[in-house]
Amino acid sequence: MSKSEARAKPAAAERVRAGGLGSRLRAWREQHLYSLVSSLGRLLQRPVATALTVGVMAVAIALPLGLALALGNLERFSGSVSESREIGVFLAPGVDAARADALAGELRQRPDVAGVAVRSPDEGLAEFKAMSDLAGALDVLEGNPLPFVLVVQPAGSDDGSALAASLRGLPEAEVVQHDAVWRQRLSAWLAFGERVVQVVGLLLGLGVLLVVGNTVRLDIGARSEEIAVLQHLGATDGFVRRPFLYLGAWYGLAAGLAALALLVVAGLALQGRLTALVASYGAQFALAGPGWQGTGLLLAGAAAMGWLGAWLATGHHLRRTRPTDV
Amino acid sequence: MALLRFDNVTKSYPGTPPALSEVSFAVEEGEMLFVTGHSGAGKSTLLRLVHLSERPSRGTVLVNERNLAKVRGRKVPLHRRQVGVVFQDHRLLTDRSIYDNVALPLLIAGTPGAEVGKRVRTVLDKVGLGGRERSLPMQLSTGEQQRVGIARAIVAQPQLLVADEPTGNLDPQLAAEIMQLLASLPALGTTVMIASHDLALVKRMRRRVLVLDHGKLVDDISPEDLAA
Repeated sequence: MSKSEARAKPAAAERVRAGGLGSRLRAWREQHLYSLVSSLGRLLQRPVATALTVGVMAVAIALPLGLALALGNLERFSGSVSESREIGVFLAPGVDAARADALAGELRQRPDVAGVAVRSPDEGLAEFKAMSDLAGALDVLEGNPLPFVLVVQPAGSDDGSALAASLRGLPEAEVVQHDAVWRQRLSAWLAFGERVVQVVGLLLGLGVLLVVGNTVRLDIGARSEEIAVLQHLGATDGFVRRPFLYLGAWYGLAAGLAALALLVVAGLALQGRLTALVASYGAQFALAGPGWQGTGLLLAGAAAMGWLGAWLATGHHLRRTRPTDV
Repeated sequence: MALLRFDNVTKSYPGTPPALSEVSFAVEEGEMLFVTGHSGAGKSTLLRLVHLSERPSRGTVLVNERNLAKVRGRKVPLHRRQVGVVFQDHRLLTDRSIYDNVALPLLIAGTPGAEVGKRVRTVLDKVGLGGRERSLPMQLSTGEQQRVGIARAIVAQPQLLVADEPTGNLDPQLAAEIMQLLASLPALGTTVMIASHDLALVKRMRRRVLVLDHGKLVDDISPEDLAA
């Protein structure tokens, strides 16, 4: 050893220091920005592979989301059906217009009745012709076989079962139609559908995690030399992990956007048929999307899932390549 | 105070003779020395212990009087930042520019961007690669790539630099140039430890030499003895 060299150490005082909190924060921000941009660059360098991965993730996200939206729309539609709570009282064939009007007036006086509408046989026939394809067949009938119908709207918040039972006791009433049981069953189906959405969402969410994890794992494999060099140079786990986390988040975000696009396309494909179907029941209905808040939540959730999948994959690799952490 | 000290260090792996056996020596700050011996003598293992890529089976390794056995988990990267490392095969990131390769230790250490640029250009000038910042490693000769490897190892001004066969793939003239570059580092306060099996080159450098044989330290030759 040269004694003069041993004494000479001017650079020791100049060694790289971390600096103050401000410069450290600045460096931290620069590193994150670099990882954010460079990970996006890596995705764009492999457009086909990226598109395939994002496509698989998008389908996995779109399926439960589509189910949830369909269920939401169905609930919205059934809600309007349930809220009507109308009771149809089909009067006996011999009851004439005067008696039907009088009976309607009597019913309007009852406290458990909110309103009564009288539908004449002619109105009923016209409505029937408009709603069915049997207009031609109905024309050949000699008379109108339909009776007067009273459409009774129950008051209060109950389902109208008691009122319907009471109306069945009227001597003029031949048939009383009240669909409370049907509505209860529909509610039960909707509750079951919600649970199905939750279970499917959970399973497919797990699938998204696995897809991201596997994709990032392959990327880690391709860059294992680089990771080893970084570790030799003193990179922390966080430094090594950071670009992969951003990569996962980009995958998730892109998959979320693609899932939304898939749902828009699916919605457009279904809207026309659905409108026709609903119109055949004399109603109007438009499909509702997730809305701005739902869209934001979806994109944030998808990015978070991508981040989590990448975090799991990198954690596994870092644990395996940490020879001195004993 | 010694910068680096090995006290009765043994490193063994299951089913094989010890890679290092009861090795003891000390290195002063600012010193440059060689570790030599035949293939499998334990040179690389010794450097790996200094760099904390391995831990000794027995004995203690002290850097700045700090026992490396007590450096655990999250503190290992901090230790490695104080030890520059030069590989025989350079291990440059081929998809990144020379600038990006050399800047890596500074980015890892959290050095602000403006400071990074200044230091990278300074160190590239020092290794004779000023103006080549934007080149990719594959656009450089083997000797130039090794210069980049050295620039990367010293850019963060580590206390200690370990080089494992840094001239192993180079012709004699390039090897001599690289050695001269490494020999200039102690003057800047960096302690340099080089593993090499090239005895002729080692002798020409006239520095302290540790000789390993089958994992044992069999000789510790001073520059004066080497000159004699």
